[in-house]
Amino acid sequence: MRVQKKKWMDLLCLSVFLVVAGVAVAYGQSGGFSESIYPVEKLKPTDSLPKLKVGGVAPDFNLPAVAGGKVSLSQYKGKKNVVISFVPAAWTPVCSGQWPGYNISKDLFDKHDAILLGITVDNIPTLYAWTKQMCNPNEKLWFPVLSDFYPHGAVASKYGVLRSEGVAERALFVINKKGIITYIDVHDINQRPLLDDLAKALEKVNRQ
Amino acid sequence: MEKNKKRMVFILFILFASLLSESASLGSEAITVLGNQVKSDPGNNTNIPVFELPMPGSEREKSYLGLSGTGNFKIGQIKAQVLIIEVFSFYCPHCQRTASQVNELYKKIQERPDMKEKIKMIGIGVNNSIYEVDSYRKRYKVPFPLIPDENMEISKMLGVRGTPTYIGIKVNGKGTQKRFYFEEGGFQDTQQFLTEIIKLSGLK
Repeated sequence: MRVQKKKWMDLLCLSVFLVVAGVAVAYGQSGGFSESIYPVEKLKPTDSLPKLKVGGVAPDFNLPAVAGGKVSLSQYKGKKNVVISFVPAAWTPVCSGQWPGYNISKDLFDKHDAILLGITVDNIPTLYAWTKQMCNPNEKLWFPVLSDFYPHGAVASKYGVLRSEGVAERALFVINKKGIITYIDVHDINQRPLLDDLAKALEKVNRQ
Repeated sequence: MEKNKKRMVFILFILFASLLSESASLGSEAITVLGNQVKSDPGNNTNIPVFELPMPGSEREKSYLGLSGTGNFKIGQIKAQVLIIEVFSFYCPHCQRTASQVNELYKKIQERPDMKEKIKMIGIGVNNSIYEVDSYRKRYKVPFPLIPDENMEISKMLGVRGTPTYIGIKVNGKGTQKRFYFEEGGFQDTQQFLTEIIKLSGLK
C-alpha cells in the first residue's frame, strides 16, 4: 500500500515537472501555431561524427519533395549554388522558427544565385502539415522541402549529420555550382544559426 | 502518514497552479480579439524598470523618437507621452503575417495631427541580430524604428513570453514609465486597437 502510494506520488511529481517544463519551453516561441509545437528539453548540442569537409564534393541525393516529385542535388549542378538546411524534426521548437526566417529571405538567396533545400527525416504528410501551418498564407514557401524518411535518414547520414536518436542535426551546407562544399555549420541543435553567418557564407560562395 | 498528506496537498496545489498558468499561456497564443483581452493583468498600471536600448541606426528613426547621439537611450528620453512596443521576431510567422497591419497602425497614428507627436512606436526583435532586424525592416518596409534584442534581455525585463506581444507604456520624462497595456498574440482591427490605446493611456 505504502509502496503504491509512493509510486503515485512519483507520477504526480513527474506530471508537475512536465507541466512546468512545458511552460518554460513555451517562453520565447513565436505565437500563432506554437500550441502545436512539441516541447523539447535541451539536447546534446551535436551528436554525430563529421563525414564531409569544406572543399570536398557534396554527395548527390534524390529525395521526394512536399510539393510533389523528386529533387536531386545534381539537377542544380552548373546552374545554381545550393544551401541545404537540415533541421532535426517537424513540430519542434527551434526548427519551427528557422525556416520562416529563410522564407522571407528569398532576396538574399537570389542575390547569390542560390536555391535553398530544406531537409528533415520526417515523412511527406508530416512535412506537408507542418510547413502549411508554419507559413504565412501570403508568403508561400518558395524553397523545396525534402523528406529523408526512407531509407531513414540516409542523406543525413551521408552528410554526417544523423544523430543517434534518428533525427538530423541542425546543419547548414553551402555548395557551389561545381558541386563543391564551401561552408558547413553543424550547429548546436538547441540554437538557431544566425542569418548573418549564412549571408557571409553566401558572399563567398562564388569565389571558390 | 500526516506528512505524506501534507506533501500531497502541496503537490496538488503546484499542479493546479501550473495548469492554470499553462492554459492562460496557451489561450493567448492565438490571435486575441481586442474586446476579450485581460485588462486586469496585475502587471498593468505598474512602473516597469528603467532600462537602456541601443540607439536606432538611422537619423530618420532618431528624429522620429526625438533622440540624438549614439550609444544607448532610455524610454524616458523618447519625445512622446505614449510608446507602443511591438515585440516581434524575424523568424515568427505570426509577426510576418501581421506586419502590414502594424505598419497600418503607424500610418493611422501619423494621420492624426492630435496624436502623432504623443504616440510613438518601436519594435523590439527578440533574439534577433542587427542583420535579421534589418532584413525584417526591408522585407516589410517597416516605417518605425526596430531595435534588436539579441540576448532577450529587454524582452525578459518586459515580461514577454512570446511573439508578437504588444505593450503600451506611458512615458514620463522624469524617468518613470508605467505599463498600461500588455497583449500577446495580436489585434484584429487597427482602428479599434488605436482607440483602445488612446483610451487606456488617458490621452483622451
